[in-house]
Amino acid sequence: MTSIKDLDNANVIQWCPGCGDFPILTAIKQAISELGLNPKDVVVVSGIGCSGKTPHYINTYGVESIHGRPVAAATGVHLANPNLTVIAVGGDGDGYGIGLNHFVQAVRRNVNITYVVMNNHIYALTKGQTSPTSLKGTKTKSTPHGAIEHPVNPMALALAADGTFVARGFSGNLKHLAGLIKKGITHNGFALVDVLQPCVSWNHEQTYEFLTENTYELEKSKYKPDNRDKAFEKAREWGLKKIPIGLFYEEKQPSYADQLPWAKPPVALDPIDDIDIKPLLEKYY
Amino acid sequence: MGINKIALKAGGPAGAGVFTIGAMIARTLQKMGLQVFYTADYPSLIKGGHNACYLRAEQEEVHSQLQIIDVLVAVDAQSIEKHYKELTENGAVIYDSDVRGIDKVDTSERKDIVMIPVPMTKTARELGDKIYRNVVAVGAVAALIQLDRKKLEMTLEKHFSGKKKDSNIIEANKSAVKKGHDYVKENFKDLDFKVKMEDKYKEESILLTGNDACSIGAIKAGCKFVSEYPMTPSSSILHFMASNEEKYKIVVKHAESEIAVINMLCGSAMTGARSMTATSGGGFALMSEGFGMAGLSETPFVVIQSQRTGPSTGIPTYTEQSDLRFMIHASQGEFPRLLCAPGDVDECFYETFKMFNLTDRVQTPGIILIDKHISASAKTTKPFDTSKLKIERGKLMTMEQMEKAKEKVLRYKITEDGISPRPVPGQPNGRYVSTSYEHWEDSFTTEDSQMRIAQVDKRDRKMLNIKEEEIAPVMIGPDNADLTIVSWGSNKGMIQQAMKFLKNEGINVNFMHVLWILPFPVKKVTEVLSKAKKVLIVEQNKYGQLRGLIRELTGILIENTLFKYDGRPIDPEEICHKVKEVM
Ligand SMILES: Cc1ncc(C[n+]2csc(CCOP(=O)(O)OP(=O)(O)O)c2C)c(N)n1
Ligand code: SF4
Ligand SMILES: [Mg+2]
Repeated sequence: MTSIKDLDNANVIQWCPGCGDFPILTAIKQAISELGLNPKDVVVVSGIGCSGKTPHYINTYGVESIHGRPVAAATGVHLANPNLTVIAVGGDGDGYGIGLNHFVQAVRRNVNITYVVMNNHIYALTKGQTSPTSLKGTKTKSTPHGAIEHPVNPMALALAADGTFVARGFSGNLKHLAGLIKKGITHNGFALVDVLQPCVSWNHEQTYEFLTENTYELEKSKYKPDNRDKAFEKAREWGLKKIPIGLFYEEKQPSYADQLPWAKPPVALDPIDDIDIKPLLEKYY
Repeated sequence: MGINKIALKAGGPAGAGVFTIGAMIARTLQKMGLQVFYTADYPSLIKGGHNACYLRAEQEEVHSQLQIIDVLVAVDAQSIEKHYKELTENGAVIYDSDVRGIDKVDTSERKDIVMIPVPMTKTARELGDKIYRNVVAVGAVAALIQLDRKKLEMTLEKHFSGKKKDSNIIEANKSAVKKGHDYVKENFKDLDFKVKMEDKYKEESILLTGNDACSIGAIKAGCKFVSEYPMTPSSSILHFMASNEEKYKIVVKHAESEIAVINMLCGSAMTGARSMTATSGGGFALMSEGFGMAGLSETPFVVIQSQRTGPSTGIPTYTEQSDLRFMIHASQGEFPRLLCAPGDVDECFYETFKMFNLTDRVQTPGIILIDKHISASAKTTKPFDTSKLKIERGKLMTMEQMEKAKEKVLRYKITEDGISPRPVPGQPNGRYVSTSYEHWEDSFTTEDSQMRIAQVDKRDRKMLNIKEEEIAPVMIGPDNADLTIVSWGSNKGMIQQAMKFLKNEGINVNFMHVLWILPFPVKKVTEVLSKAKKVLIVEQNKYGQLRGLIRELTGILIENTLFKYDGRPIDPEEICHKVKEVM
């Protein structure tokens, strides 16, 4: 048994009071605890941003990598030792901007990691610039005349890349979110859990009030997450009273590591003291 | 040249199989007990252009190419035009007489050379496919220089086995060799060519490229995770590792970019898996931020960087040594790193192995810096001796150690030797964050000024765990010489070759090959340079990057320089010429 307490540590959390990252941290801990995972076998991997600090606030192993790269680093951890539970976390800028390539590649690769995106629709740590998920017209410090581009739609992107687990949660709905993360961890393959995360300091549009008012749980509707086309339709929904949260789509597929049978017993634990290279030299005689 | 001494070039458009010509002859000569060196010269394209393969074989060790050849094999007119002047007196040109216009090439400047037209295309077509043309050429060469036919057949069998429908292919190739051979025997009965090769087989040798030697060194060192993005001239390392992934239980990932590659290594190495990538300068430019993460998080792994002609795309399939400064300084901030520049296939193997041990010992990333010339040139050497190779993992913690730990093990503990214990995920009592951010001993981030200084100094101290003897420069030649050549990397072969010529002329030269550059063997280099009567530094770049570094670290300015930056390896003749000029 792993209690939430086992996952706490003494580090002082440096997020703003009321930040939507707190419930996400709690949800991750709850998921680990409810799944009974041993914290020594869990690695939480982040990038840089407010979101990037997460590994320091949870008493597992962790990697705080560089901006945009948590998914690549998490892939390395996981493939070297698939016995570990690997949870990547990152911001919207981190994952859908500078790190977008890694995100799409990891989805199509179906690497068995859970990717929790703290999507606050803003670059928070750098003090309020536009993000790839900012809606068109959003005024920020870097877009004083309003964002010109269309936002990235992470759900649709993941679905288009043949994602096998595509979900969205909301910081204001802890129980639901913890459930999604738990499911994501148990899913064999790449699990995207995009989380609508209010940033109380820099984002005055996607606030707790707005998101509480306008999100609805798919699980409470007739929707079934078993049809990619229907999931696409849901992915395109956004608006007043019309922001779906929950599991959009799930499908069973072999993960990347399933297709590397020789790396099943973790290569990281393979003994290396006496490797015979004679067979390699044969062709050079 | 004469008995058991040959230099040969095969030239033709890309796709005509000139490298196969070189490889077959080289392997046959190796089997005949000779020492062989061969190298490739090619532009960045798949069909057309001009490819050349150069080989030399002798009874003594052959270190490099020369500017001269005894035999030119040409499968197009361009190859004759470009290279006939390189022929030694009474050298021979074997060419495909079916190529239109090939007889019209004006070689009248060289009345001494022997022209040997062979209908290669026609003969190949008779065998069912133009593809055998290059093998007909091999047969012709075999007749001219008296290659051992049995050993040539063994080479063919080895080369084509394992490929689809191999028995048919091997038979067709054997016929192609025979036809080429018989054609020359019948039509040039009276020709007594000056070069003859004899079977001198005494002991076994291996013939391989620098890239293959590095790959084997890595596998011997227990490399278990490889991530790469293809880039000439490093790609064959990716191919080598991938082709052995199953047998040696290695995860080999062709990732989406070099940025992904380096960050994957930060993850994989953190689990304790020995990890490696190979790339060229452009790829490493993309890796530099992640490389710094490895420096700060103290994550050991190995980067093989094979330099090519830069900057930017430069001349992508040609050689250069212009990334030394870049590799030393790349990434923001300051942190210790290791850098070794092997100069031949043996060093590629042994130093790559050693690099894994040293990076584990001092917990920082290491660079094997090679170049296209060493990556793609093959040389014979003694089969690698692994009896003395021991895996050393430094303070990487074992499960047993961690289970016994009475309290939490601090990953970034400030220690006297600068090295902290390194637990891995899955072990109890070791939980920490491998972080890109400055941190306390337990890995939590900090801006604290005292701790910042303590961590920087700790990382710096780590390097003192490497003794100068372990990274000493290689000294070649007599202790007392009239001139000392200083160089690094692949120039080693060309300099050794030049030294043989100089010795024959009674010129007394020695050579300091600076093999390890980080940490830098300051004491030894200073000692050698202070004692030297005259010094010449040889580099394949414009600005003398090692020369600058030596001045920075020893205060000594080497006055005589030979810098080459046309993308071609320095030839031994050029070195001899320069040495005589300086003396
Ligand atoms: C290569 C690089 N470029 C820029 C930065 C500066 N930077 C730090 S965090 C960040 C954006 C953070 O936005 P997001 O990923 O959405 O995370 P949040 O802070 O909103 O959680 C940027 C641009 C950096 N650390 N590294
Ligand atoms: S700036 Fe925004 S995202 Fe960052 S800690 Fe504060 S509230 Fe949270
Ligand atoms: Mg953000």
